[in-house]
Amino acid sequence: MILRLLSAALAAGFLAAVVATGLQVALTSPLIIEAERYESGTAHSAALPLAPARFEGALLHRAHLHLAHGGESHDHGGAPAWQPGEGLPRILFTGLATLVGGVGYALLLGAVMLALGRDPTPERALAFAVAGFVSVGLAPALGLPPELPGSEAAPLATRQAWWLMTALATAMGLYLIAIRRAAVTILGGLVLIVAPHIAGAPEVAAAKSELPAGLAAQFAARSLAVGFVFWAVIGLSFGWAWQVFGRERPIRV
Amino acid sequence: MTTQVQTLGATRTNERLGAVVLAALFGLGLVFMAGFAPAQALHNAAHDFRHTQNFPCH
Repeated sequence: MILRLLSAALAAGFLAAVVATGLQVALTSPLIIEAERYESGTAHSAALPLAPARFEGALLHRAHLHLAHGGESHDHGGAPAWQPGEGLPRILFTGLATLVGGVGYALLLGAVMLALGRDPTPERALAFAVAGFVSVGLAPALGLPPELPGSEAAPLATRQAWWLMTALATAMGLYLIAIRRAAVTILGGLVLIVAPHIAGAPEVAAAKSELPAGLAAQFAARSLAVGFVFWAVIGLSFGWAWQVFGRERPIRV
Repeated sequence: MTTQVQTLGATRTNERLGAVVLAALFGLGLVFMAGFAPAQALHNAAHDFRHTQNFPCH
């Protein structure tokens, strides 16, 4: 069963990565590269403007470091950290990262389906994948819209924490609503899904940016669309691959 | 007979639990690497993916 799960996840992650990388190269990467052109003019000042009073301790310190480094990494002239070269290498590494992320998501999808005792058919896996997209794509995007480089506001650690919390709460909420389906759990699920948004996401960039608003809006919409297709392909192909790899293995005793 | 059936059931449950735990750990590790790992080189390599998939970046 482990082999079947791993092979199905690899196949699903690969197929999804091929599709999503193509979409990223065509739809979002050009916007990112254009945004970096705006950013590179203000790369150094963009790394600094934080409101330190609001965040404390180690969190603040780490976030500062990350932000500072993040700003640096976009400074294409002589940044110390390694980064893929422009053009083909950059596309290849984006594809590699998409593959790693896709296989990871496919493994999580398979783990959840097996843990809940759902046999992954393409239809069922697609339903779970849509729930996955809602959890890690749509719900966090309500508070932290997909950002182009150069438009970040709150410290990285704060945003990552809120992202994780929202994704987990939404996934748990969907489970309580769609799988448990009792009145109490549905109510609890709704509370879980809404709670992170009532608690409030870290501040979205309010500072003026050189970035044209249209560019940012286009990026947010395209990024969600790519995310949805990514998850849909993961779900469909995971279900398909799970059935295919199962056919070769007779029921083992 | 009854004993045998129970043993089989237990084995299959254990196998499934093992697969679930392993896949969950692997999956979390891969997603962390692609989306969250703070190492500069990993961040730069996965940069466009992170932005597109709405992982918090920078």
